[in-house]
Amino acid sequence: MIAMSFFTGLFAFIAIVSGATLLIMIYFDNRNVRIDDGIANFRRHIDALSPEARQSSVHRNNSEDRRN
Amino acid sequence: MARDLAIDLGTANTLVYMKGKGIVLNEPSVIAVNRQSGEVLATGHDAWDMIGRTPSYIVAVRPLRGGAITDFDITERMIRLLLQRVGVSRFTRPKVVICVPSAITEVERRAVTDATRRAGASDAQLIEQPMAAAIGANLPIDEPVGNMVIDIGGGTTETAVISLGGVVALEAIRVGSFDIDAAIQNYVRREHGVAIGERTAEEIKIQIGSAEPGPQDRSADIRGRDLVTGLPKTVRLTAEEVRFAIDEPVAAMVLSVKRCLAKAPPELAQDFLARGMYLVGGGGMLRGLAARIERETEVPVKMSPQPLEAVVLGAGHCIENYQALRGMFMGTRR
Repeated sequence: MIAMSFFTGLFAFIAIVSGATLLIMIYFDNRNVRIDDGIANFRRHIDALSPEARQSSVHRNNSEDRRN
Repeated sequence: MARDLAIDLGTANTLVYMKGKGIVLNEPSVIAVNRQSGEVLATGHDAWDMIGRTPSYIVAVRPLRGGAITDFDITERMIRLLLQRVGVSRFTRPKVVICVPSAITEVERRAVTDATRRAGASDAQLIEQPMAAAIGANLPIDEPVGNMVIDIGGGTTETAVISLGGVVALEAIRVGSFDIDAAIQNYVRREHGVAIGERTAEEIKIQIGSAEPGPQDRSADIRGRDLVTGLPKTVRLTAEEVRFAIDEPVAAMVLSVKRCLAKAPPELAQDFLARGMYLVGGGGMLRGLAARIERETEVPVKMSPQPLEAVVLGAGHCIENYQALRGMFMGTRR
């Protein structure tokens, strides 16, 4: 009886620890994904503001001006 | 499928940029309405020609003052007509980015977006004018350096420090080139006893107005109505008189630039000395204004190559890269 309750307790303990470890791993994994997303978004934002990216909008206007 | 649009809904002029095409419309923000029937009679250049010259049943008005909507109904009708003129129909509902003053209130912001949605847009996003101006003036705002832009419009003066794609410091006042016109009108009325219209005041400003003395100082004959006799009268105005008349609004503009410089972090101050400040907007074209700002701030001032179009070009760039630049829109800051 004592041995059974000991093993039940042990299994419960291992299950709780494993579950908690899994949750922590998922949390950190998600957090890393969010950080990466932020970096990617910021890079996209900055790249879209580069003089090369803006060249087409400004050039389009200049060519329209010449045509008119 | 509708092409998305960027609109610079300015107090003085309205410009429209169409995605993939560039600037497709540029005209005064004026609408002429029949007061009795409520019918729109003219917009843009045609309505501008009517200002101060209409019979009592026609009213030619600017629906925006100080960058804010003063007449919601007329603004909505003006935007609807603008959209129709650039090819937007009942079945094609484009996304629209509108440039607004940064000092706009929450109520004014909602008025602009509601007017645009009701006029036929599927989505209306707002962008601050100095931010759009910095993009349109092709300043290196993607780099970690201080870029300072001064946007002087019809109803507002906005100065912003921009670095790494975002606004670092901002100063905005509701004083613009229309206040300069009003100052000229008041001066002529007070000192010469002659009433002149806002169009004549604007012509005086363009012909002989200046913020600093220069070699091009001239005089001009102006015609108005004598306040005592009620008869037409011609008076001669000198450039010095006009400079004195407009000193108050010009001084307010310069002071707002100084306040923005004071707000900027010290790390960026050295960038301004090396790279200078950029002047955009129609008000910035006043003779000697760049020189006066330069003299009072001791920072070099450069005129943008396209001062009138910089704001709509910047907003146009946002509509071309809508997803990547969503974070620039007001209320969606990351």
